[in-house]
Amino acid sequence: MDDYVTKIVFRYILLVILLYGFYIVLHGHLSPGGGFAGGMVIGMGLLLYFLIFGFEAKAKLRRLPIDVATILIVVGGILEGTKFLIPKEHGPVGMPGTLFSVGIISVVNFGIGLLVASTILSIFYLLVEGEF
Amino acid sequence: MDISRLMLNYPFIISIILFCLGCLCILTQHNLIKKVIGINIMETGIFLFFIAAGNIEGGIAPIYDPALPQEILYINPLPSALMLTGIVVSFSVTAFALAIIVKLYQYYGTIYAPDIMRMR
Amino acid sequence: MDHFLKLMPFTIIIIPLLVGFVLAIFARWKKDICPYLILAGVAYAFMISILLTQRVIGGEIIHYHVGDWLPPWGIEILIDELAAMMLLLLNGCSLLILIFSIKSLHKEIPEQATGWYYTLFLLTLTAMMGMVITNDLFNLYVMVEVTGLGACGMVVAKGEKLSTEATLRYLMLATLGSGFLLFGIGFLYQVTGNLNIPYIAAELVKVREQYPFLMWATMSFITVGLGVKSALFPLHIWLPDAHSSAPSPSSAVLSGLVVKVYIVSMLRIYFLVFGFDVFHETYMRYLILLLASLAIIGGSLFAFVQLNLKRRLAYSTVAQIGYIFLGFSLGTKWGIVAALLHIIIHAFMKVCLFLAAGAIYYQTGRKKVTHFSGLGYRMPVTMAAFTVAALSMVGIPLFGGFITKYGLAMGSLEANNPYFIILIVISGLLNAAYYFPIVWQAYFTSGHNVKMELDKVPVTMLIPIVIMALGIIYMGIFPGGTLEFLERAVSRFIL
Repeated sequence: MDDYVTKIVFRYILLVILLYGFYIVLHGHLSPGGGFAGGMVIGMGLLLYFLIFGFEAKAKLRRLPIDVATILIVVGGILEGTKFLIPKEHGPVGMPGTLFSVGIISVVNFGIGLLVASTILSIFYLLVEGEF
Repeated sequence: MDISRLMLNYPFIISIILFCLGCLCILTQHNLIKKVIGINIMETGIFLFFIAAGNIEGGIAPIYDPALPQEILYINPLPSALMLTGIVVSFSVTAFALAIIVKLYQYYGTIYAPDIMRMR
Repeated sequence: MDHFLKLMPFTIIIIPLLVGFVLAIFARWKKDICPYLILAGVAYAFMISILLTQRVIGGEIIHYHVGDWLPPWGIEILIDELAAMMLLLLNGCSLLILIFSIKSLHKEIPEQATGWYYTLFLLTLTAMMGMVITNDLFNLYVMVEVTGLGACGMVVAKGEKLSTEATLRYLMLATLGSGFLLFGIGFLYQVTGNLNIPYIAAELVKVREQYPFLMWATMSFITVGLGVKSALFPLHIWLPDAHSSAPSPSSAVLSGLVVKVYIVSMLRIYFLVFGFDVFHETYMRYLILLLASLAIIGGSLFAFVQLNLKRRLAYSTVAQIGYIFLGFSLGTKWGIVAALLHIIIHAFMKVCLFLAAGAIYYQTGRKKVTHFSGLGYRMPVTMAAFTVAALSMVGIPLFGGFITKYGLAMGSLEANNPYFIILIVISGLLNAAYYFPIVWQAYFTSGHNVKMELDKVPVTMLIPIVIMALGIIYMGIFPGGTLEFLERAVSRFIL
């Protein structure tokens, strides 16, 4: 898709998409949303990048999302081991209703967000290229 | 059974209609992509069923906020959380099915099921 | 150590899962270590399941609350006799299949897929274990779905036209089935407001009279959903293609283990959620009884006309699933014990047969049953094991299959329904009609001038086959301990 207008507009809009995605991820415990929804938004934004600018990204970079996804699944599995999602077992908890008030859940949400984004990207690559 | 009781439970009726449509779509469509769409319609019906089961009239999103009064009604968050898992599952099933369809297209050059059955 | 004892039921799930996903990264540059890594993971799970079974035999029921959230809200892991038996069976069979697949796999699937294949294997195994030990219905659904995806992946790993097509059909029907299951769970949740099995059962007793139709709907949804996945007779159409076109280790796992765990979940839902008396009163029991009888006859007849060995074995699975359903829908103590025993013995037999088919294909490249002449002298060990499994399938005394047939006969007498004995005898004859020609071909059709020689397959492929055959003989001669254990398991459902 070699369209001048799309490219220019996209440069400005990508930042907004990513910012909104991270907002949803980080405010997952304060408003509807969370890791999955925000990760979806981030993933779609990055996917748009590859749709508009083509697939000239380096081969190593293409494998990166799959690696990130796998590592995050592993780390998540370890974290789930004991005391799953009980904030006060993992660290200090602040005032309810503020951004840093849930301890480990923010971290988990962030991880889920990255995981979902990279999973979407890697599924997209695998479907487009057919080979891994 | 009077009609007002049916009207009260309209999300369940819609969800069952969606479920039946999805099943029909999977079983009768010949185009493989349409079968995958049928899977998604069916699962959407189920999600709607669960979410409607968790809804409480007049309730708000279950996020604890000290500023709100104590006696406020929250909706039941469990079905929503469960359906998040369900959505992830349906997403991965869809991705897997599409990948297999891409592979089948490479082998047979078509995604029309009777043609594939004829060619094997 | 105390902490570890408490965590033991959880590590049995999480360690193989971790190994599986680490393997996915590992497979990219060190492919030859992968089989040993996964072997270590499954061996760990096997050891833990032996320890857990010991504790269960000692009279303990093991509860574990994931993340320390207590039951009505959190996920509960419960290991009773049934779960312990299934854990032992799943891990033991998987270990042997893995030992088999170290050497045989590269002949059946493309080279670059082997690493991912092991990941799928572990994913399927883990999800099956989770399905067996979970006590939470939604968790059960997730595990069902993961098992379905993993099993589909194991079929498609061969990368051929036929297996890809079979996978698509399997995937569609499996998704349909799990949709039905989820809808049934949704009904239960809507009525009772719980997902934990004992809590649902407690609530259901109170509200059962108010919703007579809902109970029916729920039972039908769950029967169809799990019936599609466990290949109950008219819903079995995906099974022969998928099981016969998969690589042999996958066929062994799918046929020996995957279809069984759904039956175990079904049994749990029927007996623990609805209660044994409800199951006994409704007509759903008679429906399953009818379908199981049809499966026994129909599956055998279909198997009779197949010439491809693996397709014949796959149709035979349909018939044998019928036995399990028959025993469980008879609704008597002996019937259910026989069904559970048949889960074990059929797993032994089918794994043995499919692995033997894989070994035959590895050495000679033959797939048709008409081309097996003289094989008894060229592959004596494999064919001996095959013969043992075939004899057991027919139900000759001293082999495992006889014990389950005896148990089913006792169950049908107990249920005042002796006609099923005729059915069992007929199906035994049908089994003989399609298994004995293979054995006959292998031993008696090659003339006189044949040399005896040993199998030319690697030893690691022979060991699992032999162990499975020995297991069948052991179960046939000393079934006492297992039967006692299973009776204890059944006495939890039946009052």
